[in-house]
Amino acid sequence: MRLNDSKIRTTIPAVFLIVVLFVLPIAGMPQNWLLFLFVFFTYVSMANMWNLLAGYSGLISLCQPAFIGVAAYTVTLLAWIGVPLYLGMVAAAIVSAAFAMIISIPAFRMKGIYFAIGTLIVPEVMRLIFLIWRPVGGSIVGGGAGYAIKKATEIPITYSYWLALFIWIASVVIMRLILNSLLGLGLAAIRDNDNSAASSGVNVFRLKLYSFVISGVVTGLAGAAFYIFQGYVDPESTFSIRWTIAIMLSTILGGINTEEGPIVGAAIVVFIYFMLAKYAGVSLLIQGIILTGIMLLAPHGIVGALRQTRPYQTLLRLANGGSVELGFHK
Amino acid sequence: MIDLISTIIMGFLLGGLYALIALGLSLVFGVMRLINVAHGDIVVLGSYLGYAAMTILGMDPILSLFFGIPLMFALGLGIQKFFLNRAFKVSMEAPLIIAFGLSIILQNIYQIIWSPMSRGLTTSYALKSFNIGEIYFPLVYILDFSIALVVMIFLREFLRRSYMGRAINAASQDRKAAQLMGINTDRVFAFTFAIAMALAGVAGICFGLTFPFVPTSGMSFLIIAFGVIVLGGLGSILGTFIGGIVFGLTQTLGSYFFGVNAQLLVAYLMVLVVLSIRPQGIFGRQG
Repeated sequence: MRLNDSKIRTTIPAVFLIVVLFVLPIAGMPQNWLLFLFVFFTYVSMANMWNLLAGYSGLISLCQPAFIGVAAYTVTLLAWIGVPLYLGMVAAAIVSAAFAMIISIPAFRMKGIYFAIGTLIVPEVMRLIFLIWRPVGGSIVGGGAGYAIKKATEIPITYSYWLALFIWIASVVIMRLILNSLLGLGLAAIRDNDNSAASSGVNVFRLKLYSFVISGVVTGLAGAAFYIFQGYVDPESTFSIRWTIAIMLSTILGGINTEEGPIVGAAIVVFIYFMLAKYAGVSLLIQGIILTGIMLLAPHGIVGALRQTRPYQTLLRLANGGSVELGFHK
Repeated sequence: MIDLISTIIMGFLLGGLYALIALGLSLVFGVMRLINVAHGDIVVLGSYLGYAAMTILGMDPILSLFFGIPLMFALGLGIQKFFLNRAFKVSMEAPLIIAFGLSIILQNIYQIIWSPMSRGLTTSYALKSFNIGEIYFPLVYILDFSIALVVMIFLREFLRRSYMGRAINAASQDRKAAQLMGINTDRVFAFTFAIAMALAGVAGICFGLTFPFVPTSGMSFLIIAFGVIVLGGLGSILGTFIGGIVFGLTQTLGSYFFGVNAQLLVAYLMVLVVLSIRPQGIFGRQG
C-alpha cells in the first residue's frame, strides 16, 4: 500500500503543475515569459532524451542535432508542398524514427567512446547534405539551403507553448515508463556491462535500438516545435553542434543519471541564454566559464550535489514515506 | 589524367596536414582516454598566435614557433593541472565537459580579440608554387607535409627512447600497472597534454599558412581530426598518419568526382562506412 501512497503523493502535485502550466497563457502571462518557458520545455525534453541515452543506456550520443534537423526539415519541406503543420509533425516523428533506425546500423557496431565519435559525424554529414540538396522551392542566390516554414508565422505563441509543454510531458512520462519497465532494467544492465547483459539473455541490440529510436523521435519533435516557432530553418543552425552543447550542458549541469537533473540544468541554461542575449559576444564565453566552474565545483551536477546534502535526503525520505537508498548508480 | 594525378598528390600532401592536426587528439586519447573536444580550438589558438606574432612583431610564423611551442607547452601544463586533473579524479564525463567549456571559452576569446573576420598567415612563400612537368604544387602543401613528417618521426622517437616517452607509453597501456611500477601518472598526463598542445600549435601554424581561419574553425578541425583518428585507429602514430592520408585523398578525390561542395561529405561518409565495417579503425587496437 505504501507504493500507492507515494504514487498519489507524487501524482497530485504533478497534475496540479501541469494544469497551472497549461492555463498560464490564457491567464495572461507576458509574452516573453511564455517564450522563456517555451524554450525551456524544448530544451528539457531534449535533455531528458539525452539523459535516457547517456545516463541510463550508456550511449553517449552526439548526434542529437541530426534528429532535430531531420524532423525540422521534414515539417518544413512538407509545409512547402502544402501539407498542414500538424500532419508535418506526425511525418517528422516517423522520419526521425526511420532515421534513428538507419544510423543505428553503423552506430551500434561501435561501443563507448567510438560510438560517441561516430555519432558526432552524423549531424555534420546531414548539414553538408542539406547545404547541397535543395529538394523543393528552387535555388536561392547566395547559397545555403535555408527555408522559411510556410504558415509558421500564423501560429500564435500560445499554440507553440502548448505543443512544447505536451512534448515535455510526453518525454517525462516516457522516461518514467521506461525506467519502471523491463526495458529500463535491461538498459541499466547494458550500461553497466553489455557483455554480461547479453549473456544473461538481454537482447542488447534491440534494447539499445528502442531507446535510440524513442530518443530520436522525441528530440526531433522538440526540435521541430522549436523551429516552427522560429519560422525558419537552415542547415548551419539546425544541425549545429551548439544543440549538442546545450543538451549536454542542461543534462550534466543538472545531474546526469537523475530524473530531476535535466529540469534544473535546462532552467539554468535557458536563463543564462536569455540573460546574456544582449551581450551576444560574451554570452557564450560566460556560459563556457559557468560550465567549467560547475564541473570543477560540483561534478555530479547540481542535483547530484544536492542529493548528498542532509536536508535533501530528509525531504526525500519524507516524500517516499520510508527509507530510501541514495547514491549514484554508476 | 594530369588533373587526376595532381588531385591524388594534393590529397596525399593535405593528408599530412590532417594527420598533424589529429596527432595531439590521438595522443591525448591514447594516454588519457579523454576525447579532448577543445583540440580543434587549441589548433586555432596556434594559428592566432602565429597571426599575432606576424602582425605585431613582424615575425615569420614558422620562426614564431620557437616561442609558440614553449608557450603552448606551458599552457598545456596549466590546463591539465588546474582543470583536467581535478576533473579526472571525479568521473570520466567531467573532463569531457570541461574540455567543452574550454572550447566555448577559447572560441569567444578569439572572437573578442581578433573579431569574427577570416584571417590567414599570408607570407611571401605562402602563395608560391612549383612544378614537376605539368603538375603544379603549392609550396605550402609540401611544407606542411614535411613538417608533419618531421614532427611525427620526432614524436615516435621521443615516445620510444626517452624516459618520459616510455612512461607515457606505459601509462597508455595500463595506468594502474604503470603507477605500481613507480611512474608518476599525474606528471605523465600533464606532459602528454602539454605535448598535445605543442603539436596543436605546430598544426595551427601549418593550417594558417595553407587556409584562412575564423574563430569557429576549431569545430571543423575537431570533426576532421576525429575522422582521421577513427580511420587510423585511436592512439597510434602510424595509424594517425595513414588515417590523415586516407582522409585527405578521399576529400580531394571527392572534390574531383562530385564537386567542391561534396568534398567533405564524401570524406565523412567514408569515415562512417569504415566505422561500420571496422569499428576500431584500420590500425586500431581492439576495445
